[in-house]
Amino acid sequence: MFERVRPRNLEDFEEPRMVPLGGHLFGACFFLMKLLPARFMLKRAVERGQLAPGGTICESSSGTFALALAMLSVLNGYRLLIVGDWALDRNLRRRLLQLGAELDIVEEPHPIGGFQLARLERLQEHLRRRPGSYWPAQYYNEDNPISYSKVAACFIDAVGPIDCLVGTVGSGGSMCGTARYLRMLFPDLTVIGVDTHNSVLFGQPNAPRKVSGLGGGIVPANVDHTQFDEIHWLPASEIMASAHDLHGRHGLFMGPTSGAAFRVARWWSDCNPGKTVVAIFPDEGHRYADTVYDEAWLESSIPGWNGTRMEEPTAVSSPTVDMTSWAKYTWRRRNLSDVLGDLPPRI
Amino acid sequence: MSAKSGIGKAMAHHGELLQGVFDHIDGYLRRGLVSLPYPALTSLATFTPNARAEITVSPTGREKARRAADLTIASFAQVRTGGHIQLVSDIPIGRGMGSSTADVLASIQAVLDYLRVFPTAEHIMRIAVDAETACDSTLFKQQAVLFAQRDGIVLEVFRKPLPALNILSVDTTPESTVSTVEFEPARYCPAEIEMFRPLRSLLRKAIDSGDVRSLGRVATASAVINERFLPKPGLRELQAIASRYDAAGLQVAHSGTMAGLIFDPEDDRAPENMHLARKAIDALGLVSAPLKLERA
Repeated sequence: MFERVRPRNLEDFEEPRMVPLGGHLFGACFFLMKLLPARFMLKRAVERGQLAPGGTICESSSGTFALALAMLSVLNGYRLLIVGDWALDRNLRRRLLQLGAELDIVEEPHPIGGFQLARLERLQEHLRRRPGSYWPAQYYNEDNPISYSKVAACFIDAVGPIDCLVGTVGSGGSMCGTARYLRMLFPDLTVIGVDTHNSVLFGQPNAPRKVSGLGGGIVPANVDHTQFDEIHWLPASEIMASAHDLHGRHGLFMGPTSGAAFRVARWWSDCNPGKTVVAIFPDEGHRYADTVYDEAWLESSIPGWNGTRMEEPTAVSSPTVDMTSWAKYTWRRRNLSDVLGDLPPRI
Repeated sequence: MSAKSGIGKAMAHHGELLQGVFDHIDGYLRRGLVSLPYPALTSLATFTPNARAEITVSPTGREKARRAADLTIASFAQVRTGGHIQLVSDIPIGRGMGSSTADVLASIQAVLDYLRVFPTAEHIMRIAVDAETACDSTLFKQQAVLFAQRDGIVLEVFRKPLPALNILSVDTTPESTVSTVEFEPARYCPAEIEMFRPLRSLLRKAIDSGDVRSLGRVATASAVINERFLPKPGLRELQAIASRYDAAGLQVAHSGTMAGLIFDPEDDRAPENMHLARKAIDALGLVSAPLKLERA
C-alpha cells in the first residue's frame, strides 16, 4: 500500500544546507530548490497513471523549475517541452537544450496577463496537440506545496523550533507548503512573504518587472494568502544589492531571490533578537554570473543599483499603492479578497 | 529445567506521543508509533509447565497471550512442553492503554524466564507481533524508539528515554471501548503521509534535548492528523483547555479512548495549571486524573 516509486536520483540535492548568518538567522541554501517539487510531482503523476514510462512532460517556466524538470527527464527517460519567455536566458537555454528539452519561446506578452499568461496559453496549444502528455502545472498542482515536508523537517533537524520563516513567493509552493507544515508544530510562526513591485500576487497593479523568480502577473492557485503575516515588496535595486551583500559578507553565491529573502530576513531578525529565523535561498548564483553578478550589466539595466540601501521598509496602508522603494504591509493571514475588498477588476 | 515456573511483567501505556507512517532505511514507508509508557499499571504473567500437550490461559479468553506463550515455546524450548499462563492485570481494557500487548509481552517473558533464555527486545517484539498483529513500544525502556507496530521492527532509536512528564489523563468516552483488532488501521492520504516528516524531526529533537514543550507540540499535531480516523469526542475542547492552561500539548491513544494533557514537571506553574485544567475538564462532564510519568 505504501510502496514508494523510487529511484533516488538526485534526491540528495533536494535538501538545503543550513548556514548561520549571525544572531539567530539561518539561510537555507538550496542547490536547486525546484528539484524537490519537480521530483515529487512526477512521482505522484506516475502513481496516478498520468505519466507513463517514456511519456512527454509539457510545462511553462522560464526558470529553475524548467531546469529541474529537464534534469529529472534525462534521468527517468521522459521527453520534455518547455514554454518560456525572455527571462529564459542564453545559458539556461543552452543547458535545457543539452538536457534534450524542446523549447518554445513566447515573444509577445498577453495584453493583461503578461508573459506568464501568454506562456500558459501557448502551453495549452501544445497539450492539445500532444494527447497523453503530462502538465505538472506548478502554479496549480497541490503536490507542489505538499512536497515541502522534507524541507520543513530539514529546518527542524538543523535549528529546532522556528519563530519566523522568510522567503520569496512565485508559485507559492515553497513558502505556503513549508509554512503549513511548520505551523502544525509552531502555530505562532511568523511567515513573511517577499514580493516585488508591479507583481499582482499580493495586490500590486500589474506592470513590467525587472526581476524574475519572484512575483508574477497572475495569482497562482498555490499561493495561499492566509499563510502570511507580513508582505514585503522590494525594488530590483535592493534585491541585487542584497544578493551582493550575501556574497560579500557571508560568502554565499546565490540567486536574486535569495538576495530578496536575505534583505527582509536580516531586517526582521535584527528587529527581533532571540527569535529563530529561517530564510529560504532557492538557487545558486552561477546562472546569474552574466547578469546579477556582472556589474556592467547591472549598471545598464538597473542604474544606481548599488546606491544607498534602505535601513528599513516603509509601511504602506494598502498593497495597491504605487511603490518606489522597499514597502511592507501587515497581511494578518487574510485572503487576497479580504485584503483588497471588492475592488473592481483592474485593467 | 531448573525453575518450576517463570514470571513476566509488562507495563501499560497512555496512548502514543506520535503515530503515523515513516520512512524506513529500506526505502519503504512503515506504520510506526512512539508509545507513552505508563509503568504504574501492569500485567503480570506466571507460566507453569505441565504434562499436557497445549498451553492454557486464565482468565480464559486471553487468546493472544496464550498464542504468544505457545509461539515462544515453539521458538525457544528445546523440548516441547505444555503449560498454563496465569495473568493478573490492572490495565483497563479497550481504552487504548495496551492491555492486550501487556498480556502478550508478560506471557512471552514468563515463558522466557522459565526457559532461562534472553533474546533481544526486537526478537521478543516479533513474537508479540506474530501473536497480536500490532504491538506497542513499551518494551524498550533504555531509550525511546519509533517502533513499526505491525512489522515488529525498530525504525529509529532515539538517543535518550522520554523525559519525565506530568499527564492529566482523560477518558473521552468512558462508556465505549475500542477493539484494537477490529479497528481498521488509518489510511493516510499522500498529504498526511508527508506531514509525519517534520513531526518525526521535532520528536527526535525533543527527546534528545528533553524538551517537553516540543514533545507536546508533536503529540498535539499527531492527535489532530489522526482525529479523522478515530474521532475523540471533546478533542477540540480539550485542546482549548490545554492551550488556556499552558499545557505543553495533548496526546491521545490512537486506537483507544484515552487522551492526556501534557505538562512539564520542570515548569513551576504546572501544578496550578493542572489543577485549573482539571476543573475545566470537570465542567465538560469528563473525569480526569493526574499521572506522574518518571523518566525511565
